[in-house]
Amino acid sequence: MTNQATKRRVIFHIDMNCFYASVEMAYNPKLKGRPVAIAGNPEERRGIVVTSSYEARAKGVKTTMNLWKAKKLCPELIVLRPNFERYRTASREIFKMLSEITPFVQPVSIDEGYMDVTESKGMGTPLDIAANLQKRIARELDLPCSIGIAPNKFLAKMASDMKKPMGITVLRKREMPSMLWPLPIEEMYGVGGKTATKLKGIGIETIGDLARGNVYELKQILGINGERLKNRANGVDQRPVDPDAVYEFKSIGNSKTLPQDTTDETEIRALMHYLAENVARRLKRKQAVGRSIQVMIRYHDRKTITRSKKLRNYIESKEDILIIANELLQKHWNLEPIRLLGITVQDVEEKQNIAQQLDLFSYEKVAGKEKLYKTINELSEKYGKNPFISWNTTNTDNQSPSTSFQKDFLDDFKR
Amino acid sequence: MKFIIQRDQLIASVQNVMKAISSRTVIPILTGIKIEARQDGITLTGSDSDISIESYIPAEENGTVNVEYIEEGSIVLQAKYFPDIVRKLPEKTIEIHADENLKVTIRSGKAEFNLNGQDATEYPQLPKLQTDDSFELPIDLLKSLIKQTVFAVSTMETRPILTGVNVKLENQTLTFTATDSHRLASRTIPVADTTNEFSNVVVPGKSLNELNKILDDTEDKVEISVTSNQILFRTKHLNFLSRLLDGNYPETSRLIPDQSKTVLHVKTKELLSTIDRASLLAKEERNNVVRLTTQGDQLVEIASNHPEVGNVTEEVTVSSIEGEELKISFSSKYMMDALKAIEFEDVNIEFTGALRPFIIHPANEDSILQLIVPVRTY
Repeated sequence: MTNQATKRRVIFHIDMNCFYASVEMAYNPKLKGRPVAIAGNPEERRGIVVTSSYEARAKGVKTTMNLWKAKKLCPELIVLRPNFERYRTASREIFKMLSEITPFVQPVSIDEGYMDVTESKGMGTPLDIAANLQKRIARELDLPCSIGIAPNKFLAKMASDMKKPMGITVLRKREMPSMLWPLPIEEMYGVGGKTATKLKGIGIETIGDLARGNVYELKQILGINGERLKNRANGVDQRPVDPDAVYEFKSIGNSKTLPQDTTDETEIRALMHYLAENVARRLKRKQAVGRSIQVMIRYHDRKTITRSKKLRNYIESKEDILIIANELLQKHWNLEPIRLLGITVQDVEEKQNIAQQLDLFSYEKVAGKEKLYKTINELSEKYGKNPFISWNTTNTDNQSPSTSFQKDFLDDFKR
Repeated sequence: MKFIIQRDQLIASVQNVMKAISSRTVIPILTGIKIEARQDGITLTGSDSDISIESYIPAEENGTVNVEYIEEGSIVLQAKYFPDIVRKLPEKTIEIHADENLKVTIRSGKAEFNLNGQDATEYPQLPKLQTDDSFELPIDLLKSLIKQTVFAVSTMETRPILTGVNVKLENQTLTFTATDSHRLASRTIPVADTTNEFSNVVVPGKSLNELNKILDDTEDKVEISVTSNQILFRTKHLNFLSRLLDGNYPETSRLIPDQSKTVLHVKTKELLSTIDRASLLAKEERNNVVRLTTQGDQLVEIASNHPEVGNVTEEVTVSSIEGEELKISFSSKYMMDALKAIEFEDVNIEFTGALRPFIIHPANEDSILQLIVPVRTY
């Protein structure tokens, strides 16, 4: 451990360029060179641009932009609905290639990840490794990516952002004053809109200003995160590349904006149904159960509340989730128009780590398989971990787009 | 309305009716305590519309005078303030006086409170129950019926009917049954002198818990009357009325196994303390599972394993083990609740397989039954 912290590390951050749009182009080369946008539901307000090609971006099309606005800026825009199964497959292939270089791969989302190639000297210089990887992804998958090379995750992330598409950028600590510090503060990874405003309030306009910032003052406005950000700006980031980070999911949630702000119970109930169903499906994908339910309500004025309830038993079914979520909603909704609702299952555990409390009214279903389980247990004791993996659980959910999808793919990587 | 009352009597009565009063109620006047003075005594009433409690203080009882100088009348006082005031008044007697403008004066020694009351005619009338088909029990027996079952009710609103205790009277036998679908507790007692019969009566667990707190452990009688949607418990000075739960209570008798493959005879206390120790590692109550394994015909092993914390095993010598070998996992909490409720020195535990419910009886005593559904470990 200490070894890893003190030794000079070589970290890659791989960022797929316009991932969804690029995958679509790889599937259909006719789209190449044309403005393409992937969007959710084109008919509704949430018909927003999820991602777009560089050609579209050149015309001003931006992620999260309304579809109608995007079309106004770029009338020849080709709008596609997302094909999540394709993206998942592509992502899986990419991470497979990364894992062939080093086992220290940490996927962050469907289209980006970190690698620690400190120990991979046998494969050439870091620059060679990066160039070969980039070429291979382009050759075999027809997908562009940018790679940042740096001594830690933060700098690697910043570096990958500097040259797009198909860039390879090395960001050494000694290059920070010229490459990193002049950048405006809002371009720093980890600084969002609110943080940027606060920082500007104390005269911090660039990453360099932050690097020289007063720790006490930063802590005053940002708490512990202030010091952390200052360290990052100075190129200090000890976080290891952790391949196991994928395994940790403590909560699974889904939220959705309504087509318009509403107090209509039918509409709200329908949305709650939809959210509970999504969450339940994702729990199932992860073979997990949860023991706390949180409901988020964002009102028309953007005021947002979250309320949660801890349960005595783990639950997983849509029905159970919905009952608790509705209970919370009934209790805490102040009857003002709602803009967005979210349901999150917290305290999530993989089923294999917990015990299942059987139910008096349904135990027969499980007890009927008693002999089978007994045999599995005996074989597991003999051969180690459960040699059988149940079949019926792999399901392809190719349904509606949701932000959560980008993290769920991580399960695929895990398997 | 006017009277002078013994403070201690009033405190006890106020405490009783407060059990029914909730600050969150849809009917605003129910946040108050109703006080009614008649020549024979004072009646206090508290209600949250699910539970209503009337506590009566006779003017005179066994030669002791509790209330004097009574001028009849009634008033409703804020439950938020009244109990504390009564408790902290300086003298042994309290004078309460309400005028026609609903102004209330409470005087004790040199302390005087002037409160705004509310019109008692606006307080909902408690339903008068038919008492024709009622039956009687000693209070201490009712309390043990409650204690041995009510802990097993569900706390989840997912199946509201399971948040109550099923009370059944059939063939002069009274049965209390409670289950949260993971464990079940039931107790039966004979009731003579009644031809009354009912089966689908479900009393909210909360009501029984409150009732149990109010009733003193005596051998005095409590009279129980049941209608289609209410149940009344009446003692000498107390009326406790509870709403019943709507819906059909599931038929549980067929879920109770009537044969067994493995039977343990064991000292209740020893098993209880072993399981208590084994559950120490399961503090964060992740189902706090323990595993019981039979070893030969005199020994069971209780074990618990928690990946991050560590593990524990302990052997318990048992009086006997009959039948097949067994390895079963279950919630230590449910097991401890059940063993504590049994109140007998020796118990029989009857198993019918690792994934099927098992039952716990006092040895030679079938009137108390605790059932636990096991846990499946993956």
